[in-house]
Amino acid sequence: MKKSMPYLFLLPGIVLLIFFLMVPLFSILWPTLFPEGFSLNAYTSFFTDEYYIEILIRTIRIALIAAIVCIIMGVPTAYFISRCNAKWKGILIAVSIFPMLTNSVVRSFAWINILGKNGVINNMLMALGVIDQPIGMLYTEFSVLIGTIYLFLPLMIMTLVGVMDQIDNDMMEAAESLGANKLKAFIKVVLPLSVPGILTGAVLVFTGALTAYTTPQLLGGNKSLVLATLIYQRAMTLNDWSGAGVIAAVMIIITLVVMKVLNILAARLDKRGEVDA
Amino acid sequence: MAFVDLKDICVSYDGKTNVLEGLNLQIKEGELVSLLGPSGCGKTTTLRVVAGYIDTKSGEFLVDGQNYTKVPVHKRNFGIVFQSYALFPHLTVKENVAFGLKMRKMDKATIDKKVAEMLEICGLSEYKDRLPKQMSGGQRQRVALARALVIEPKLLLLDEPLSNLDAKLRIQMRVEIKRLQKKLGITTIFVTHDQEECFSISDRVAVMNGGVIEQYDTPENIYAHPNTEFVARFIGFENFISVHKQADGTYKAQDYTFKTETTGKDEAKITIRPDDIEIIDEPSSLNGVSGIIQVRTFLGKSYQYEVSTPIGNLIVNGDGNKVYETGQDLNLRLPAHKIVLV
Repeated sequence: MKKSMPYLFLLPGIVLLIFFLMVPLFSILWPTLFPEGFSLNAYTSFFTDEYYIEILIRTIRIALIAAIVCIIMGVPTAYFISRCNAKWKGILIAVSIFPMLTNSVVRSFAWINILGKNGVINNMLMALGVIDQPIGMLYTEFSVLIGTIYLFLPLMIMTLVGVMDQIDNDMMEAAESLGANKLKAFIKVVLPLSVPGILTGAVLVFTGALTAYTTPQLLGGNKSLVLATLIYQRAMTLNDWSGAGVIAAVMIIITLVVMKVLNILAARLDKRGEVDA
Repeated sequence: MAFVDLKDICVSYDGKTNVLEGLNLQIKEGELVSLLGPSGCGKTTTLRVVAGYIDTKSGEFLVDGQNYTKVPVHKRNFGIVFQSYALFPHLTVKENVAFGLKMRKMDKATIDKKVAEMLEICGLSEYKDRLPKQMSGGQRQRVALARALVIEPKLLLLDEPLSNLDAKLRIQMRVEIKRLQKKLGITTIFVTHDQEECFSISDRVAVMNGGVIEQYDTPENIYAHPNTEFVARFIGFENFISVHKQADGTYKAQDYTFKTETTGKDEAKITIRPDDIEIIDEPSSLNGVSGIIQVRTFLGKSYQYEVSTPIGNLIVNGDGNKVYETGQDLNLRLPAHKIVLV
């Protein structure tokens, strides 16, 4: 067997990647840079359009808030799950990933039922006499945010449980014996050791929320457009594929930048330097 | 009055079976006491009760006359060294040692001074900026010890701290622990399943079995005079012969008569270490028995023989001067002062 033989086994994978990942991506991005010869016009017009900038900022804001809320809600939950015995751990993990087992359209419709004008919350508040008119919660940034957090919290919890499982309980006990109460021991020991997981989870939630389409489409409608829904609008409604390509490129760059920044952050925060987000 | 006083401690994990069955243990100030026993005997549970990680079902735990039964872990001020060391991997050696002092909200200058002193005592000064993963097992062990000692604990609790080290380092570290413990005069509880380790380090040893203390005495007394068959077996007695007492105070197993230094109940067992049985040329009528060598095992300094005798198989260690063959007849003598009655 020749030395180059083993590399042959890589061929199917490489061909698959090139034809089904690289080629489509290039066919979208190429026209944005080379309409007829090299030009950045498509990009300058995107970044000078206030309407687009507003959508861009809204998208980043939603993704950022979703990531932060998922961290705040996910960390205690994941820690609780990781300290349970095997039986309860299994049950609680199943419960927390249960929403992931249904289609995101169905999940979004569930929130329409809850947040809508005739939804559970409005009906309840009206029945209690707290409000006279239904509150418009649906098709706002708020509803997109709720849907996004609901969508990605399980992902954050799963990532964190994986990391926190590795933290030996002896460490908590050692911290307690040295005079830290449980909360302090958690903040001083568990939290720093969970940083890799928190950052990985944050990247997953942020990029997921940035690119999510179904949830903002169903819960945000045309009033609260985000980049993903904007792409669809440009491409399908206005047939402006070059414009859609620009937005896609912007999204890719944001994702890459965020990942890079979080990685640098992780290396700073975690002196052990064992983070690969 | 005892410095540490465990009174009738009962612990149960499932509410039905007791892991500790009314355990009593008194420790004097400055003493190093070992809890010795096989896994599952309750020694770690006892330590965890003292540390405060496990709630007791009943019983009281006093230190220096103060009731600690319900005091939470972080208010007890006990230094604990874990089997896994449980160092904080994200903190340097210095930060690990300083952790307990920071929790006590001491000012930075005091912390730096105390940490530097403790690192010096433990021989860790040159490693102060390393992370735990950059250190060897023995060094980590010393960091764990320094971290537990720097808070000037009322009690030092060591949970099998040496079991992750290799044999040579183990002996080195146990001398180190003993040295530090005596130097600082800290009352210490040491959990181990290794009898040699525990005898070498302890002022007193509590041999545990099934959630109770079977014998609590100095290492010398336990070694020479185990109270029960369990203790005897655990500390290296291998030959157990069922005997019954005669009118003249000697013990008899079948036709063989054994004289002992102490006497006890009518139906008993005599036991002796393989090292203490003498191989003699002529059969002895008193304390003697003869048999045939079944198995010979090389131990290094001498051979060990399994000798089948009318009163059962006896394990005998040769003295190294003379070697006997399998199948050979052997005359044995069990010296009265080496026989222990259990």
